[in-house]
Amino acid sequence: MSEEVKKQRPAPDPNSAKFKLGQIAAKAYSDCVEAKARGEKVGWCASNFPVEIPETLGLHVCYPENQAAAIAARGGGERLCSESEGEGYSNDICAYARISLAYMKLKDAPEQNMPQPDFVLCCNNICNCMIKWYENIAKELDIPMIMIDIPFNPDYEVSEAQTAYIRAQFWDAIHQLEQITGKKWSEERFQEVKKISGRSSRAWLEATACAKHNPSPFNGFDLLNHMAVMVTARAKKEAADAMETLLKEYKENHEKGVSTFRAEEKYRIMFEGIACWPWLRVTSSGLKDRGINMVTTIYADAFGFIYDDFDGMCRAYSRVPNAMCLELARDKRVKLCKDDHVEGLLVHTNRSCKLWSGFMPEMSRQIGKACGIPVASFDGDQADPRNFSAAQYDTRVQGLMEIMEENKGGN
Amino acid sequence: MAVDELLAQFHEIAASPKKQLEKYLAQGKKVVACAPVYTPEEIIHSMGLVPMGVWGADQKVGEAKKYYPAFICSIMQTVLELGITGKYQGVSAIVIPSLCDSLKCLGQNWKYAVPDIPFIPMTYPQNRKPSYGIAFTKAGYERVISDLSAATGAKFSEVALADSNRIYNEHNAVMREFAEIAADHAVSAAQRSDVFKSAWFMRKEEHTAMVKQLNAELAQTPKDKGKIRVVVSGILADSPSLLEIFDKNEIRIAADDVAFESRQYRTDVPEDPNSLDALARKYANMDNCSVLYDRDKKRVDSILELAKRHDARGVIVLMTKFCDPEEFDYVPIKRACEAAGLLNLNIEVDRQMVNYEQANTMIQTFREMF
Repeated sequence: MSEEVKKQRPAPDPNSAKFKLGQIAAKAYSDCVEAKARGEKVGWCASNFPVEIPETLGLHVCYPENQAAAIAARGGGERLCSESEGEGYSNDICAYARISLAYMKLKDAPEQNMPQPDFVLCCNNICNCMIKWYENIAKELDIPMIMIDIPFNPDYEVSEAQTAYIRAQFWDAIHQLEQITGKKWSEERFQEVKKISGRSSRAWLEATACAKHNPSPFNGFDLLNHMAVMVTARAKKEAADAMETLLKEYKENHEKGVSTFRAEEKYRIMFEGIACWPWLRVTSSGLKDRGINMVTTIYADAFGFIYDDFDGMCRAYSRVPNAMCLELARDKRVKLCKDDHVEGLLVHTNRSCKLWSGFMPEMSRQIGKACGIPVASFDGDQADPRNFSAAQYDTRVQGLMEIMEENKGGN
Repeated sequence: MAVDELLAQFHEIAASPKKQLEKYLAQGKKVVACAPVYTPEEIIHSMGLVPMGVWGADQKVGEAKKYYPAFICSIMQTVLELGITGKYQGVSAIVIPSLCDSLKCLGQNWKYAVPDIPFIPMTYPQNRKPSYGIAFTKAGYERVISDLSAATGAKFSEVALADSNRIYNEHNAVMREFAEIAADHAVSAAQRSDVFKSAWFMRKEEHTAMVKQLNAELAQTPKDKGKIRVVVSGILADSPSLLEIFDKNEIRIAADDVAFESRQYRTDVPEDPNSLDALARKYANMDNCSVLYDRDKKRVDSILELAKRHDARGVIVLMTKFCDPEEFDYVPIKRACEAAGLLNLNIEVDRQMVNYEQANTMIQTFREMF
C-alpha cells in the first residue's frame, strides 16, 4: 500500500483579494464570538437586512444563511436538516431554515459555529419564508425580533408609498435596536457607512463586469463565495479594500490574458440561482471539465448598492433579487447576458427556494428568447444534499453544451 | 325551508362555481376573481362587481407545470391551471395578494399564462398595525381601485364602500354564528364545508340571507351529541373524500382555524368616518394566521383557546403540501397541543390527491384513542 502523497498547496498570498475576502468572512464570526464574550448583545441577521443599520449602530451580527451554506458545503446539511425534521419540520421547508432551526436547538455544529442570538433582524425582501423562520427562533428563544417588511414589488419602479413604508420601518428598527442594545444612531457614522458601502459596491460592479472580456478573467464560481462579503460586510472598510483588490486583480488578469478559470474557456454561461452548496465541486467541475465558464449570475448586479440618501437606500433594498417583478428581474439578467456575451443559461431549480424558482420557467424562457441562447435547468437544493442528482445535472449540462456547440457552428 | 333542503342548496352552489359565474354574467354583472388568502372583497363589491373566490380545484395539473415547479402548493398550481384552460372565461380581472412566496409567483406567472384576464396585485404590509402600515394598506387598496376601474370601467365611491363594509360585517356575524351552531347540531363535516365554500361564489348579501335562514332552522333542532369534537386547522378543508372520512368516523368539527373558512370572518371592518381607512384598519386588526406576521405566535394560543372553548378533544391539522407558512407553524402548534394534553394529527393534503387511505388510517386511529 502506498502512502497518499498530498500536493503541497502554496501559501496564500495575504495581499490577494481571495485571502482578504476569506479573512473578512471568518472575522465576521470571530468578532461576534468576542462581542458575546464581552457581554455585548449579538444578533442573527437576514442576508438582505439593511446592513447599514447594524453597521452604523456598531452592532455585531452573524448570518444564519451564510452559516447554513457553510455547514452544507462542509457536509453537515443532511444531519442538521434531519434534526429539524425530527422536531416536526417538513422536509419541504427551506434547507437553510431547517439547518438554522436545528442549530438553535443543538447550539453546536463543528462545520461552522456562531454565538446564539440576543435578538434577530429579519427582512423579507428575499422571501416570506424568512419571517416564519425568524418568528420561530424569536418565540423559542424569547428574544426580540426586528422585522423590516420589504414587500415583493409587482411594479418596475418603487412607488412613493412603498418608499415611505420602508423608511418608517427603518427608523422604527433603529429606535428599537437603540433600546435593546443601548447603542446610538449617528448620522455622521451613517454617512461614512454609506460611503464605504458605495465604494465596495462600485468595485464589485466593475469587477464582475470584467466578465465582458473574452476570456473572462475569472471563474464565476468565485462570485458565489465573494458575494457573501458583499451582502454582509460591504459597509466595512476592509471589504471595500478587498473588493478594490479584486477589481485590480481581474483587470491585471485580463491584461495578462489569464483567468481564475483553470481551463480553456470554450463556452460562457449565466448560472441562475443559489449554489448547490453540498455539491459545489460536482457542479463546478461538471462545467469546468467541458470548458464552460459560468461568467455571471444575478449576484453580479444585485449587490451593487449605490444610492445618494436614506430614501435611495430604502429603494435599493426593494430592488434585490426575489423582491422584483418578472420584467425587472428579466431585464437585469438580459443585460448581464448581453454585456458578458453569454451563450447559454443554466438554471438551478432550487427545492429550497419557492420564490426564486416559482416563476423561473417563464422568466428563463423570456431571457433565452431575448438573448437567443439555450436554457437548461436542473433540480437541486442550496443545502439539502438529498435533492440533487449528479446524473441529471451531467445530462442537462451536456445537453446545454451541445446546443451551444451547434450555435457556434460546430458539429 | 327545511334544514336538509337548505343544505342541499348550499351544496349545489359549493359544487358548481361555474354555474354561479355564468349566472352573474347572464345578469350583466362583471365578476372579479379573488385569490387566497385575503383580498379586499368589500372594495370589489362596492364597485358593483361580483367577487368570487378562486382557491383551485381537486384535479390534476398539466399546463401549469410549464410555469410552476412541482414543489409549489396545489392551490396555486390549480388556480393557474384553471386560468390557462379557460375555466375563468368571462371574469374581468383577478386580484392576487402577495402574502406568501408562492402567491408572489402566481401573480407573475398569471400575466403570461392567462393574458386575457388582467392581474391586479394587492400588496399588503406585514407590519400592518403601526400607522405607516395602515397607510401602506390604504395605498394598496387605492391601487386595486384604480386597476379595477381600468379593467371594468366601474367607479369607486366611499359611500358605496361604507355600505359594502356593513354587508360584509353582517356576513361575518352570520358565519360566526353558523360555526357555533354547527358545533352542536346535526351538520356533517361535508355540509359544514358547503356552507363555507358557497360563500366564495355568491354575493354576500345573498349568502347572508341563506345562512340566516339556516341558522334559524338549525337552532330549532335538537343538539347532536356523542361525537368526537375536534378543531380543524389549515388552509383548506373542502375535499369531499377527506370530509367523508371525518363523518364516517363520527368526528365533529367543533371549530376551525381554516384560512378558507373561519379565518375570513373573525375580523370586522371597524367604525370610521372614512370607509377606506376603516377597511385598512380591518386588515391591521387581523391576526392568528400563518401568512400574517406573528412574532408571538398568538395563532398557537388562539387554536388552544378555540379547542378549550369548544370542548374539543384534539386538533387536526390539514397540512396543504408545500405550504411553508403552515409548515413552520405546525411545530409550535404540535408542542402546544402536547403540553395542553390535546391530541393532534398532521394530515398532509393536496388538491391532486386521489387516495385518502393514509388519512383514513390516521383518523381511525385517532378516533380509537377516545
